[in-house]
Amino acid sequence: MNSILKYFNGLFTGIKSLLIGMSVTWKELWTKKVTQQYPENRATLVISDRFRCELTIPHDENNEHACTACGICQMNCPNGTINVLSAMIETEDGKKKKILDTYTWDLGMCTFCNLCVITCPSDAIKFNNQYENAVFTRSKMIQKLNHKGSKLREKKKEQPLKFPEGGLKDQVL
Amino acid sequence: MENIKKLILNVVPGAVIENKKIFTVTVEPNKLHLLAKTLRDYAAIPFDFLVKLIGMDSGGKLGVIYMLSSSTDVSKEIVLKTWTEDRENPLLYSVTDLFETAHFNEREIYALLGIRFINNPDMRRFFLNADWVGFPLRKDYDANPELNPLSLDSKEIVDIAPRIMETENGLVEETVNIFEADDYIINIGPQHPSTHGVMHFRTALDGEIVKKIDVHSGYIHRGIEKLSENLTYPQILHFTDRLDYLSANINRHGLCMCVEKAAEIEVPERAQYIRTIMDELNRIDSHLLAWSAMTNDLGATTAFIYGMREREIILQMFDKICGGRLIINHNVIGGVMFDIYYDFQKDVKALIPYMREKLVEYDRFFSHNVIALGRMIGIGMMSKEDAISYAVTGPAGRASGWSCDLRKHQPYSLYDKVEFKEIIRNEGDAYARYLNRLDEIEESLHIIEQLIDNIPEGEICTKTKAIIKLPEGEYFQRIEATKGEFGVYIESRGEKTPYRLKFRSPSMALVSAMPLICKGEKISDFIGIGGSMDYVIPDIDR
Amino acid sequence: MLLEFSQPLEYTGLANWFDTTLGSWSLPVKLILVAVALLAAYAIIAMILIYVERKITAFFQARIGPNRVGKYGILQSVADVIKILLKEIIHINNVDKFLFFAAPFFMVVASMLTFGAIPFGKALQAVDFNIGVLYVTAVSSLGIIGVLLAGWSSNNKYSMIGAMRSGAQFVSYELSAGFALMTIVVLTGTMSFSEMIAKQEFCWNIFNGHISSIIAFVIYLISGHAETNRGPFDLPEAESELTAGYHTEYSGLQFGFFYLAEYLNMFIIASIATTVFLGGWMPIQIHGFDGFNQVMWYIPSYAWFFGKTGVLIFLSLWVRWSFPRLRIDQLLNLEWKYLLPINLVNILVMVILVIAGLTLTDLFPILAS
Repeated sequence: MNSILKYFNGLFTGIKSLLIGMSVTWKELWTKKVTQQYPENRATLVISDRFRCELTIPHDENNEHACTACGICQMNCPNGTINVLSAMIETEDGKKKKILDTYTWDLGMCTFCNLCVITCPSDAIKFNNQYENAVFTRSKMIQKLNHKGSKLREKKKEQPLKFPEGGLKDQVL
Repeated sequence: MENIKKLILNVVPGAVIENKKIFTVTVEPNKLHLLAKTLRDYAAIPFDFLVKLIGMDSGGKLGVIYMLSSSTDVSKEIVLKTWTEDRENPLLYSVTDLFETAHFNEREIYALLGIRFINNPDMRRFFLNADWVGFPLRKDYDANPELNPLSLDSKEIVDIAPRIMETENGLVEETVNIFEADDYIINIGPQHPSTHGVMHFRTALDGEIVKKIDVHSGYIHRGIEKLSENLTYPQILHFTDRLDYLSANINRHGLCMCVEKAAEIEVPERAQYIRTIMDELNRIDSHLLAWSAMTNDLGATTAFIYGMREREIILQMFDKICGGRLIINHNVIGGVMFDIYYDFQKDVKALIPYMREKLVEYDRFFSHNVIALGRMIGIGMMSKEDAISYAVTGPAGRASGWSCDLRKHQPYSLYDKVEFKEIIRNEGDAYARYLNRLDEIEESLHIIEQLIDNIPEGEICTKTKAIIKLPEGEYFQRIEATKGEFGVYIESRGEKTPYRLKFRSPSMALVSAMPLICKGEKISDFIGIGGSMDYVIPDIDR
Repeated sequence: MLLEFSQPLEYTGLANWFDTTLGSWSLPVKLILVAVALLAAYAIIAMILIYVERKITAFFQARIGPNRVGKYGILQSVADVIKILLKEIIHINNVDKFLFFAAPFFMVVASMLTFGAIPFGKALQAVDFNIGVLYVTAVSSLGIIGVLLAGWSSNNKYSMIGAMRSGAQFVSYELSAGFALMTIVVLTGTMSFSEMIAKQEFCWNIFNGHISSIIAFVIYLISGHAETNRGPFDLPEAESELTAGYHTEYSGLQFGFFYLAEYLNMFIIASIATTVFLGGWMPIQIHGFDGFNQVMWYIPSYAWFFGKTGVLIFLSLWVRWSFPRLRIDQLLNLEWKYLLPINLVNILVMVILVIAGLTLTDLFPILAS
């Protein structure tokens, strides 16, 4: 008798558990769908400010940047992603000075660890939000970051926050 | 400790005992097995949990460092060392018969350092092919790519294991067949939907029943430990995120703690709060994925997507706080890289009730489903003794009744300030492991709840020197990652780079237990058990 | 006029037109046309089902589903068909070539044969056997040969396990499905689909045999679902264990055949359940409510048929996407420990109901048509 009871008990609790499971999916059938339709939602897509996409050297309206070509970022990069080429020039008062010649960054090698940005003594580089960086050839991943004809910003301006939309305590190291 | 010292000197009179931060004993190779056995069987505090097994090349000598702990109190630690002068044919004694977890670790050491272990039943190289030239972790390794060219030919898998056994007639080199001649062997992996990564199980089947499993690993081995030897400490940090990517933040936290402890860097309290909250969010994220993946392994695709949906909310939070979703990249030496964002507390407080609601839904949907119960209860039984011997920690170890939560036993960050339960179940089956994860999500929510409103004002990171050099010495750090105990070992010689760095991966222990607990189960259950163990392959293939 | 729409062939007078113009050639031409129509229906129904399943699955899973090809992704299955037609059939070494190529045809032919006997609407039935139930049961079980052959000839260990699982599963569940249908045969006293439908005008079989019929209905749905190899009974495929089970090695159109047959089998099971239990194409009729009945007849009979079938298909999708997969021993337990004994008792109960005159039509003779 006991085993018969067990048999039917097992049968009915089993069926009950299945029906409860089905009630969950039934409820979900009518919930809001979570799919993000990517190319269509481009306009409204919010990429977090701190999201790291492409390394950039911000240039101001005079085509000036803050990079002194010291090479600390290159030293700190764990993968050899950054290559800073400097050139020696002679300033008007006859002193020799090191300036930035070419700053290349390899997107394909970068692990986006942010070490270059946090170690940069002159806050010259930052990651931007340009997230669509698929290219067809590997060579296009190697990017030159300093603009043509750009030069070092002379007097030290007030530095903008790296993540301007930060709010309360949005400072970086 | 005095008792242990007496005991050790009693058994091995020549042992060199150093009273460092961690009790360290150095013995001759032939005495090590005896010493380990004595410590394991020591009644007062049985040192029966082999935490780490670290192969070392000290420049001249090759050696192995064993870190033992006790299953009754995992905060107790003791370190054993043994060295051999022979670099041509280094031989040491295996402790596989005492601690099963040593088996894979010794094979790893053979592959990377060339030390062979006498009495290890299967001395094939782990991670590397049998024909690999050189031993990568040796200091005199020649990394010339021409020595180990990339081969495009398919290589036959040879199921013959060499080994060295100690017999009455001295040492005997012999070979054993892994499988029997007429076994029906299928390759589950390296490309298979349910191996959770690039894992390869050679599985002998008897009809639907798993007869034997042979684990092949190393398909994505990157040599992170070797790479780290040439990188500075801040640079190494980014590797930890790529070990067990599901507990990226916790791994990184572990390495940061190790370096901070060594360099005596004080971490600001605000950073501690942020780290702890992030760790727990990361734990929820990882357990959600584990839950989803397990339901998917059992064939419930819908549950998988529900889990991923909830996980997405946490990932978006990570994205906003530190710009990374999977590779969280948040901890740095001395604190955290980014402060919390403006709405973080609000978001987290919204998450907690939502997550609780969803946990109830998961329960209704899957936890009591009669089919799911049939596929989890009593499947993949792992006894407490096995869990300890195989060093299976984390939710899986705790499902076998082993209290091994380092957050309780060796509290770090703020875990001594918050109140939470250590989830322990005694059944030791797949269902207990499954339920443990869901319950740990609840506990993590509880921890976050206690911290989120009390984040103090202040710095988020201590200013460190531009170049961090650790004082000479050895540093151990253990931390409770999502899959189990994650460990860091650094030997520093006072340079800015570590002399030797070793990560203890919880997943390796989980996988090493798979052949044991899957034996005799059906092939479908083998997949389900894999889901319940929740291993992550990059964590094994460091 | 609406009434006439429900019988399109008679309404257009197409059948008569053939008879008068073609004379003695009329029959062969009509046969060919029917065959072509069935084949077309076969493909179109499969395409619609694939789309519908993908959409409904997505909704269950909080997703949108296909949404790229055409508005709401409506052309998705058309695109899929084109893709599958263009895809290369990869030739595999070390397979039993003949069996390997024959296997997909077995699958398709088995479901195609069943298709002919299904009454889609009033007078919309290719062949009206007087033993329709028996025929359908017999023919639909041919599909298993395709699965077994595919698994065997692929020379792949995964496929082999899948095929063997499939064999055990088919043999077991065929039994239950057959018994469940037999319960209704006992009730109606006929094996012909058209007669069954005619008898269900005022009282569907599922109500007529009340408790016994409902049990038979549920068992038929479960075992029918199991026969179609769809989750939670998708052990032969078992994606997470056997990658793709018996059709792992198939590609291109050959794989397409398996895919097609899977969806069609789902439709066939649902349509047989509709015909046998839910009154087939018969509109809802209530005795005495002549006006209402008339209105119901305005809806074409094939719409009723597809509507009822659609509900059952939805049920099957709902089940599929709610439960985890069974293990092989659970699967066999369910059949041999639960479904089969219950079924045997149930058929006995039905016999008693019929003999003792306890069916609804016996108790309330006005319900008999």
